[in-house]
Amino acid sequence: MKPMLSTDLNVADTTVEKAKIEVKGLNFYYGQSKALKDINLSLPERSVTAFIGPSGCGKSTLLRVLNRIYELYPKQRADGQVLLDGKNILDRSQDLNLLRTKIGMVFQKPTPFPMSIYENIAFGVRLYERISKAEMDNRVESALKRAALWNEVKDKLNASGLSLSGGQQQRLCIARTVAVKPEVILLDEPASALDPLSTAKIEELIDELQADYTIVIVTHNMQQAARVSRQTAFMYLGELVEFDRTEKIFTSPREKRTQDYITGRFG
Amino acid sequence: MSTALSLHQSRKRKNGVMMALCVVAAGIGLAWLALILGALIYKGLSGVSLAVFTQMTPPPGDAGGLLNAIYGSIVMTIIGIVVGTPIGVLAGTYMAEYGRFSKLTTVVRFINDILLSAPSIIVGLFVYELMVRPMGHFSAIAGAVALSILVIPVVVRTTEDMLNLVPNALREAGTAIGAPRWVVIRSVAWRAAMSGIVTGILLAVARISGETAPLLFTALNNQFWSSNLNAPMASLPVTIFQFALSPYEEWQQLAWTGALIITLTVLGLSIFARSLTGRREDR
Repeated sequence: MKPMLSTDLNVADTTVEKAKIEVKGLNFYYGQSKALKDINLSLPERSVTAFIGPSGCGKSTLLRVLNRIYELYPKQRADGQVLLDGKNILDRSQDLNLLRTKIGMVFQKPTPFPMSIYENIAFGVRLYERISKAEMDNRVESALKRAALWNEVKDKLNASGLSLSGGQQQRLCIARTVAVKPEVILLDEPASALDPLSTAKIEELIDELQADYTIVIVTHNMQQAARVSRQTAFMYLGELVEFDRTEKIFTSPREKRTQDYITGRFG
Repeated sequence: MSTALSLHQSRKRKNGVMMALCVVAAGIGLAWLALILGALIYKGLSGVSLAVFTQMTPPPGDAGGLLNAIYGSIVMTIIGIVVGTPIGVLAGTYMAEYGRFSKLTTVVRFINDILLSAPSIIVGLFVYELMVRPMGHFSAIAGAVALSILVIPVVVRTTEDMLNLVPNALREAGTAIGAPRWVVIRSVAWRAAMSGIVTGILLAVARISGETAPLLFTALNNQFWSSNLNAPMASLPVTIFQFALSPYEEWQQLAWTGALIITLTVLGLSIFARSLTGRREDR
């Protein structure tokens, strides 16, 4: 027997909230091998969705389809549909650079550009906007404040981005992503290379950012998924096994494979 | 217990023997360098004077300097680098960035490696046929072109290698922020690989500033001051070649001094290049 409450929430989920991204019948191939099999899911606007699953299950691959970053490599291709506000981004006519300004991404290892902290943030802004020095200063400051890094770096904006600690570098990357005003932020295991304290800061940040952005996070760490996300998708061997509200996935999953994974029986 | 101990003892002995062999081998390698440097300093240093840098190469039996040869070497090296570097950097960038997964890159890399190890006299003969014969005379510009052909493979190789060292995650990060490919290459990949690429260019300078064979067929030599690029021009290596083989003592002394100048310049450039790469690794 299912509790009433959970059903109510499920209904609210699917009917009231607007889907920011809808994935329909998505398949993905690395050369001949099929890495994603008929994925269907819908990511609600302004909330955090986590992808979990064992290594090689396709969660990062799915994330990398959402901003088509996989196009950097030949032999990788996707078919099916990924709708961003109802428009298929897998369409050939989609401008990739514009798509990526709308869908930002933060990677597993911090990737500051080899330039100053200020320039790391101004770089992306300058690509699509012509703004004055004063406006840019404001933009950099607000992005750094947004990423909870301003107080630590305000006196050394001209120092190299590489001079920061790992956790600071990762927050710099988040600031850089936020500065170009995206609608969606993709996080590919953003805290897996960081110490617990930095991880806590990043998670806190994700919690704050979801007020304005649709966030998708790939994580190996199930506690992290439970802490930060509202929906969780469990993937296994290239399939989407189960997608539901996070508390549902972690307390009463429908599928046995989900149950086995979250209780640590494999993966 | 005792067998384990003796095993340990015999390993220690073997280790000692191997270590001694390695040290001897390294010592032999270094000894030649030390001997060459020692001989150059011993024979060359006594000839270093202001006249070397202010006077022209003398006729046999007279005192003089190396000014025209030093000037010629500098001019031809600079032109060779200015012509060869952009071609090399762009080709290396193609191979590491746009053409990373293409067959053409494999072919170009193979040919480039052949060019890299081709005897420089072949390059001299090639430019002789290409420029000197049609023009009807030796010229500094032909010498510079021969040197630039030697620059290209060195720069291509280091540029490609250094760009390949730039982590892909950095390119992905640039791409993920909405930057077009060429902006990612210019502002992220090149910048990350900058010190390595500069090192490659400095190594190319070091290489061509000592080349004699390609200049013998192209720029030849000139006893007098000449800044005309369309005429034969003196250079340090060719002057050393000519003076060292001569029976005149003054010329022989100038050859030693010239050799010392080239060696110290190349040594200085190499150390400078090393310190650049070293700083990159520190970061």
